[in-house]
Amino acid sequence: MTEVSMKNRKKMYGGRWRGVKEFLKVYRKNKLGMIGLILIIIYVFIAIFAPYITPYNPYEKTGKPFIPPSPEHIFGTDELGRDIFSLTIYGTRISLFVGILATLLSAVIGSAVGILSGYFGGLIDDLLMRITDLFLIIPGIPFLIVLSVILGSNIWNIITVIAIISWPSTARLVRSETLSLKSRTFIEAAKLAGATDTYILTRHILVNVLPLISASIILTITRAIILEAGLSFLGLGDPTKISWGTMLYFADRYGAMFSSNPYYIIIPGVALSVLGLAFVFVSYAVDEIVNPRLRTRRLR
Amino acid sequence: MGLREYTIRRIIELIISLFLFSTISFIVFRMMPGDPSSLYLEEGILEPGMREAIRHMLGLDKPLWEQYLIYLKNTFTFTFGISFLYNKPAIEIIFSRKLLNTLALLLTSHGLAIVFGILLGVWAAWRRGKILDISSMIGAFILYSLPVFWVGIVMLLLFSVKMGLFPLSGTITAGVTYSNIFEYMADYIHHLILPATAITLIRLGGDYLITRNTMITIIGEDYIKTALAKGVPEKIVVWKHAARNAVLPIVTWVGLEIAVIFSGAVLTESVFSWDGIGKLIYDAALWRDYPVLEAAFFIIIFVTLLANFLTDLTYASLDPRVKYD
Repeated sequence: MTEVSMKNRKKMYGGRWRGVKEFLKVYRKNKLGMIGLILIIIYVFIAIFAPYITPYNPYEKTGKPFIPPSPEHIFGTDELGRDIFSLTIYGTRISLFVGILATLLSAVIGSAVGILSGYFGGLIDDLLMRITDLFLIIPGIPFLIVLSVILGSNIWNIITVIAIISWPSTARLVRSETLSLKSRTFIEAAKLAGATDTYILTRHILVNVLPLISASIILTITRAIILEAGLSFLGLGDPTKISWGTMLYFADRYGAMFSSNPYYIIIPGVALSVLGLAFVFVSYAVDEIVNPRLRTRRLR
Repeated sequence: MGLREYTIRRIIELIISLFLFSTISFIVFRMMPGDPSSLYLEEGILEPGMREAIRHMLGLDKPLWEQYLIYLKNTFTFTFGISFLYNKPAIEIIFSRKLLNTLALLLTSHGLAIVFGILLGVWAAWRRGKILDISSMIGAFILYSLPVFWVGIVMLLLFSVKMGLFPLSGTITAGVTYSNIFEYMADYIHHLILPATAITLIRLGGDYLITRNTMITIIGEDYIKTALAKGVPEKIVVWKHAARNAVLPIVTWVGLEIAVIFSGAVLTESVFSWDGIGKLIYDAALWRDYPVLEAAFFIIIFVTLLANFLTDLTYASLDPRVKYD
């Protein structure tokens, strides 16, 4: 264990707020981390205030189809004559929503499985890890295609399905951290003092494991956002919602490539990639600070 | 426990995993709403009376447990039934040109990504902290965050539509007769360049970062310092001592990523209409072609499990530190 993370752990132990403050102080010095954070704040702002930023209603036809960029439509229009800029702004909502919610769900499942597995060991560990391994090697996109055909394409199903294929890597990471924490003296001391398993798991293990895996969880957001876009690009997204993936699906289907407005293809993809990149930057910065040892273990 | 017992245990585990997987996939596929007969019915292709006949022909009217037993027997004998869509044995459809097309695409792109990833990663780790290292790391992050299908469309837009350099879709030009094998190969490669480049670019970021970070750990080891102190030239230390040890983790990583690699293939193959397994899976899901879906899934999972098994065994026999537990 390195100096930094030991120090951070002690800080967190002394007082959680002091730990957070200390963390922010170090984080502010990380340039990539700050760029990522600012970008995310901008995206969140755009998502919340979308109706006030967009010049047009994204669901309405406001011009001729495939108009190239002009003062009225800065990125032109799509095959129905809707404003690309307004559509892209609204698309932010779905990507953030799906990315964050799917990641939270997968973090909850992954942490629960990992912690129980690592703490109790034995038969529970064997069973849970066998299940985790099974899910770990399921090919993601093919599985997503099959499940979304079964469950139907609405946003909640997409979130569930992404969480189902994302949790195993978190579970493995949490398990290995739990294993190393379990043998620490403060856990032994808590046991001797008569603490119950539930108390130790929630008050000691979980709060110490979560910061260590936070970088990996943030990285899952990027994967989830790209997965949602990929699924929507295949035409399996929620047809009632505007998403960047769905935009690209229609752009591809209606031959935007050959049309007079190639921005229909460029803009949603740029929005998508920059958001993904912002989370990668934040994940990298958090990793550097909290746990240099884990640096790229979960980068995929 | 010795290597032999370990091998036997792993083989048993492999069989159990395969059994569990086929059970899960049976449940999943039978849960799909509607069977092929209802789909044809919606499309108005069939007359209502023919539906029962089709269900009978496909074995869908048997009790579920009987369907399950038939399914298990077929899975472990690699007979996956007749494709609903192509009216040919599912396994025949998979082990055809489609598999070769997918392998050609994946081997080329991942091979290139690994080679370039390792070269760049080793070089960057040695120049750690310099401006080129930092900018190449940011470049790797960008590549890592790009969605592969979007990179594909943008490449088509730029190089096929605007410049007309590469074909828009398919694996070969339709309707052309080739006078010799080289003409055929040239046409095939011409079609392969764009999809392969798209996957290479996307994977390069991850492969580079893994190598770079493994290398940084290795460079800190005593034997590297010793070699340098002994006066061994820097180039030899980097490429002979350090890089060799950095190759193993990345190969293992790629082995574990076979499932992810197949996922990427589905999206890329859809963008470029590349006639491979990925596109096959997508079409099969849309048309409820259970036998093809099941066969494709089983084979992907079989290959992944086998790759993991072989990696573990190689490690166990090569590395004396591996404990058999």
